[in-house]
Amino acid sequence: MNTLLEKYTDEVQTILAKYPPDQKRSALMPLLYLAQREYGYISKQAMNEIGEILDITATEVASVVGFYTLYHDQPAGKYRIQVCTDLPCALRGSEEFLKQLCENLGIQPGETTADGLVTVEEVTCLAACDRSPVFQVQTPDGLVYHENQSVENAMKLIRTWQSKP
Amino acid sequence: MAKLVTLTIDGITVQVPPGTNVVDAAKKAGIDIPVFCYHPKMEPVGMCRMCLVEIGRPVVDRATGELVRADDGSVKIQFSPKLETACTTPVSEGMVVINTSQKVKDGREDILEFLLTSHPLDCPVCDKGGECPLQNLTMEFGSGQSRYIYDEKMHSAKHVPLGDLIYLDRERCIQCARCVRFQDQIVDDPVIGFYNRGRALEIVTYSEPGFDSIFSGNTTDICPVGALTTADFRFGARPWELNAAASICTQCPVGCNLTINVRREAISQGRMAIKRIMPRQNEWVNEIWICDKGRFGYHYVESEERLDQPLVRKDGKLTPVSWDEAINLVSMRFKQAGSNLLTLVSGRLSNEDLYNIRKLTDSLNGKSALYTQMGGGDVVAQVGMSTGSNLANLGKGDVILVIATDLHQEAPIWWLRVKQATERGAQLIVANARSTRLDRYAKYPIRYAYGEQNNLIAALVQLIDPQKFVDAKAIKHLSEQSIIKDTAEALKAAQNLVIFFGNEGSGVADSQVLAQTCAILLATTNHAGKPNNGLIPVWQRANDQGAWDMGWRPPTDLSTSIKEANALYIVACDPAGDDPRLSLTPDFLVVQDLYLTPTAKLADVVLPALPFTEREGSLTSGERRVQRYYPAIPGRTGALADFAIAAQIAKACGITLEERSAAKVMDAIARENADYAAISYTELANVEEQWPIIGRADLYYGGTSYENKQGLGMQLQNAVQKGEPFQISLPELVEQSGEGLLAVPITRLYDRGNTLIPSQLLRTHLVSTVMWINAKEAKQQGVEEHDVVQIECGETSALVTVELEDAVPDGVVLVPRSVGIPISEPCRVRLHITERV
Ligand code: SF4
Ligand code: SF4
Ligand code: FES
Ligand code: FES
Repeated sequence: MNTLLEKYTDEVQTILAKYPPDQKRSALMPLLYLAQREYGYISKQAMNEIGEILDITATEVASVVGFYTLYHDQPAGKYRIQVCTDLPCALRGSEEFLKQLCENLGIQPGETTADGLVTVEEVTCLAACDRSPVFQVQTPDGLVYHENQSVENAMKLIRTWQSKP
Repeated sequence: MAKLVTLTIDGITVQVPPGTNVVDAAKKAGIDIPVFCYHPKMEPVGMCRMCLVEIGRPVVDRATGELVRADDGSVKIQFSPKLETACTTPVSEGMVVINTSQKVKDGREDILEFLLTSHPLDCPVCDKGGECPLQNLTMEFGSGQSRYIYDEKMHSAKHVPLGDLIYLDRERCIQCARCVRFQDQIVDDPVIGFYNRGRALEIVTYSEPGFDSIFSGNTTDICPVGALTTADFRFGARPWELNAAASICTQCPVGCNLTINVRREAISQGRMAIKRIMPRQNEWVNEIWICDKGRFGYHYVESEERLDQPLVRKDGKLTPVSWDEAINLVSMRFKQAGSNLLTLVSGRLSNEDLYNIRKLTDSLNGKSALYTQMGGGDVVAQVGMSTGSNLANLGKGDVILVIATDLHQEAPIWWLRVKQATERGAQLIVANARSTRLDRYAKYPIRYAYGEQNNLIAALVQLIDPQKFVDAKAIKHLSEQSIIKDTAEALKAAQNLVIFFGNEGSGVADSQVLAQTCAILLATTNHAGKPNNGLIPVWQRANDQGAWDMGWRPPTDLSTSIKEANALYIVACDPAGDDPRLSLTPDFLVVQDLYLTPTAKLADVVLPALPFTEREGSLTSGERRVQRYYPAIPGRTGALADFAIAAQIAKACGITLEERSAAKVMDAIARENADYAAISYTELANVEEQWPIIGRADLYYGGTSYENKQGLGMQLQNAVQKGEPFQISLPELVEQSGEGLLAVPITRLYDRGNTLIPSQLLRTHLVSTVMWINAKEAKQQGVEEHDVVQIECGETSALVTVELEDAVPDGVVLVPRSVGIPISEPCRVRLHITERV
């Protein structure tokens, strides 16, 4: 049974309709995006299901998941905070920002809070070097940028998530 | 032919076709440019940078378009400031390539240093050590000292079973993607891939089961390091201890060229032992590839169960006796039986065996019969592949028709060669009652009902030449279909036409007719007897064609022939194993085989034979290429080659047959059989230089497939080519009839034949006693997936497990051959559920 296809029949069809039928595999990226929105990460089952929809092997799907840092193959918090610690950001104190943020949350970079709400990760340049400290958040609704951040700001943001149902 | 491009490499002038890359151009001039990711059978990708060279090009005056010359009149050459990758750079007129400068050597040293930053350098325990491109190139160009600290190396998993045949060592992988590209581009099984990027990159498989491809072993040949190794050879021996014997695969009618690596070893009690099977280059047959059945399926030859002395039944028990005693008994009884002797053989035997056994039988006035489920070998002798044919020559303008066979499962390398022909532009027609993997590349996939295969070909003939099969009612509904009309047009327009036919959906008689109709199609379209044209039979056994050529024919009714015989001589086949109900109770039964098969257990005398690895012989492939194999290890004491056993029996009967060597038997064949007149063991050993040049000191270029130094074989002339009249008359067409569920035996690659079961490695791959049915039909028949049902065909029956499979047509169940289900040709069946899980 193809859960993804069954649950999102229309959405999958809309995505497929954008590509010529003999080049279905081009729909891989948006389908992965759909799967990640649904499950928070791309499970092995999702890879199989997408492969089935596109007539490609699960291995081919996996290769793309592995290639892009924005696709995840492991479950994590509902919100993934990705802090840039590349060189320009580091010059503007991003490492200290990351350290304090993690201390506030009681986790190490790469870990998820006990309530499963927040994961903090380090990433390379997010193309907002002049507005550092900067992080992006992968939320169930999509990707949101937060620039010129302080730890207080960030914690305030996290608290709004905590209070959401 | 396009104008050649002239360039110089290290001062040597080379002329090559435009589009050639610098690595290949250098190879043609005898110069080796080191590579890792480039492989001559695949498109260059420029991933590893090992092939860096200095490249200069003539300076052209932009205003005049003239070449700029120095004062001494020589053309001025402009070198690019940086090294360039030779694999991705096509040659151009006047190009100057430098492969030996210090700059080039420094470049190589640097690349190697990068590659080795996290390489484990565990060459002493690495299977590839001794034949490893990375090791060799490091010795030649590496710095000899590492600037990296051991503790800073990245470590990763070293024993990752990608499937049960191939192991991955993640630390050793240098990320050249040869394996990934081979699986994707060459065999279209993209079941291994790259995961992650940069230093974190690793090879993964997500298929179920892992690395699910019947060509997987080839990746271990082209992997330039010890990252991919086979479960068979892993930690088995060091490459430099191995001797190499040339051989031919005996698992299917393709006849892939092999090298058998052997060594004398303590763990085999000081005997010579086979350590691995490797491909041997033959660009006319298998290029440099083999399938996994050929590579891993050989273990039966070393099975513990092998017989090593003759047995004679005494007081009801098979008892070891001397050869003399056994031969005397057999010859006496055979002489007594005379015309009541029936000899039954299979295409597992070599031409020499088949010839001698036939001679023996004929001299005694006995009857001879070929144990097979398919006919048409005599037709193939008339219109088979003509001399000078190579499937690799097929391309644009040519047509290939594949009917009643699943090439991927029955003859994997032919499947590959056909697929490649379509990539070069050949048009493919795939006709079968169900979809098979070849459909993917077919321009005309045609479906018919099982039993209609002959009528389909007749319909095509009729559309092309309305004078033939006039008014045949049986074909009308076929010739009206537009796809079949289009196919007929394509066949008419074909420059070259190759037809593969199998016996899926036919019995012996029906497949004989199929061969005939296909031959008529070849003749009607004027393709018979020309190079790169012809009929290729997809036999079940490697040398069925040789058997037909040596005069063997399938009997009209095997069980009657057996019943009528007083003495039976059964060689290299196991009718009792295939059909336990077959009554094998002649007065005297002699079985000649490798082991005590179910048939041998019934015998009065059992004669132990040698397998192909321990003797010489020749086989005739489906493309009618005669090829010879050499002994890889000494024959086990006590057993003899089949042709020699036949000669000994003959001698005791007062008949003289050649027994000294297979080569001498071949000389006798050549004297007697006009088709084989030009064949001799010396001719079969002829070689010529093949492209790509592989297997030399530069293992990095082609991989560890062996160069062919022992013979490319010879393709026989067919009757039409020899100018003999085409003697095939139009067969009678029969309308499809019959009611009820039809069971159709199909051939699976990993069957349960006697020559595959002993391979422990392939155990989990072997097909089991199942029947495939589609969901709708299953419902109709009242069966469910996993049910165990009794499948009844006339008198015989068997227990099988139900598996659902969409591709099976309505009204049909498919059963695998060679698993002990006694259904050898299509028959109407009834199902009874005996167990529901
Ligand atoms: S496993 Fe071997 S062939 Fe495959 S990418 Fe690594 S080094 Fe290349
Ligand atoms: S394709 Fe046939 S001949 Fe070639 S290796 Fe496989 S089984 Fe042997
Ligand atoms: S370095 Fe952090 S955003 Fe560019
Ligand atoms: S880059 Fe040319 S061989 Fe790898």
